[in-house]
Amino acid sequence: MVIDVRDVSRRFGELVALDHASFRVEPGEIVALLGPNGAGKTTASRIIAGILAPSSGDVIVDGTSVTAEPDIVRERCGFVTDQPALYDRMPLRDYLEFFARLYRVADPVKRTMELATMLGLADRLDMRLAAFSRGMKQKVAIARGLVHDPPVLLLDEPATALDPETARSLRAFIVSLRARHRAILLCTHDLDEAQRIADRVIVLYRGRIARSGTTGELRASGRPTFVVAFTGDAARARDTLERVGVATDAVVANGTSALRFSADDPGATNPLVLRALLEAGVAVLTLTREERSLEEAYFAIVSEAKAS
Amino acid sequence: MRDAILVAWREIKWEIFGDRGAVLRMGIFALLPIVFVLTNRGARVNDLALFTLALQSALFPALSGVALIASTFTAEKENGTIIPLLASPVRDMDIVVGKLLGMMIPVFSLCVGSIALYYVLASAQYGVSRVSAALPPELVYALVMVALLYLLTAGSWVLIIAALVKTTRAGQQLAGLVIGLSVAAFAALGIAAARIEDGWALVVLGVALVLSDGLALEIARRVWRREEVLARL
Repeated sequence: MVIDVRDVSRRFGELVALDHASFRVEPGEIVALLGPNGAGKTTASRIIAGILAPSSGDVIVDGTSVTAEPDIVRERCGFVTDQPALYDRMPLRDYLEFFARLYRVADPVKRTMELATMLGLADRLDMRLAAFSRGMKQKVAIARGLVHDPPVLLLDEPATALDPETARSLRAFIVSLRARHRAILLCTHDLDEAQRIADRVIVLYRGRIARSGTTGELRASGRPTFVVAFTGDAARARDTLERVGVATDAVVANGTSALRFSADDPGATNPLVLRALLEAGVAVLTLTREERSLEEAYFAIVSEAKAS
Repeated sequence: MRDAILVAWREIKWEIFGDRGAVLRMGIFALLPIVFVLTNRGARVNDLALFTLALQSALFPALSGVALIASTFTAEKENGTIIPLLASPVRDMDIVVGKLLGMMIPVFSLCVGSIALYYVLASAQYGVSRVSAALPPELVYALVMVALLYLLTAGSWVLIIAALVKTTRAGQQLAGLVIGLSVAAFAALGIAAARIEDGWALVVLGVALVLSDGLALEIARRVWRREEVLARL
């Protein structure tokens, strides 16, 4: 694997920003780090990037320990933050060449041209960065992160404040990097972005990993919910189910009545629900397991983490 | 050291010569010797006045340099441009030294240029023999060294302040305070040195000044470590 986070904790005085976190990112994989503000996403990405030392634990990046050799780890990571943070007085060419030289790229001039062409900025090489739009600036920040062709790319909220079109092209570019076997860690608040491009998702809450898995696994996690659709009186159906101990809430369905309920043991609860409704004379049309969106799964996971 | 030079070169080319405001401010200090000589054209100029004007020519550009150092470091933090630098494989010390050199080289060059211009103009105005008698080469050299020491000392302390404040405005205000206090401290040291005149005590004073520079630079290095900078962003 390219990134191996091993039982990492980070404290800032009394505050525990990251609490015994462990996870891995393989080559050619995009892993999204989700979580509310203060969950520890940025702290995690900074520790992996070798710019913040962990209080305990270690991170192995491309075979190198971040605690033992942070300088080498920094050579192997590309780090892009939510703010492009560019030197606005410099033209694009000089800016990328400057960072290429800092990263000891063999041919900075050639590499600058390659990156500018790859990101569609070749015709703006001699334009000062102050004149760039927000989306173009973010592209430049990504080019800076890729200037040394790193095996690991750490993206901290890269699509913040971008218009939908630019955000979409940025997502397409990130996905294209997966095909080049980069290990990509994406810290984001954007659940839609995570659902679209991430192979796996890790949910952080107050520095702890609350849940991890593929987006499908996360959506399927927690208490399963079911929707029963029927024709007839919804109030009577609800009362019937309450009498057998199944709490429900109403669902808007196309021209039919429907109730949602959750079940720890669907094998026992679902026949009970069907039998009760049929005995009460309710004409049941369908009983289906509800597909949760990643957003719903995320909020359920965060609620569980809060409660625990 | 290669990385420090790279950082310094970027500072000089893009943050000083790429900033019209900075060039204008430095240009004003370069013109000061002309103003000094022209405004003292008709007056009877004694040796002390010649020396004082030379001291001002050497030291005034250094004062602008201290403010420049404060603003360049705080601006990096305020704009977040320090993060990509910290994420690169450059050592903490190379970032600090590079940025300090990037400010000190042009400002010190201006100090040297300013006193050279003053010497030429004063020679034309008051006569070569008068000026060379009042300002022998060793005195001019000493003035240049005072400017360098002042720049290094005040610049190092300003570096520490720049690490502790969050905004460019706050950094510049505190730099103004450092400039005022350091000028007073240097004046006091100058008076002390003049009373001591020659001997070991003067050497000790010089060594103490250099040691205080070393101490300030070491503190600056510590407060500008990656961990410390990130904690204050």
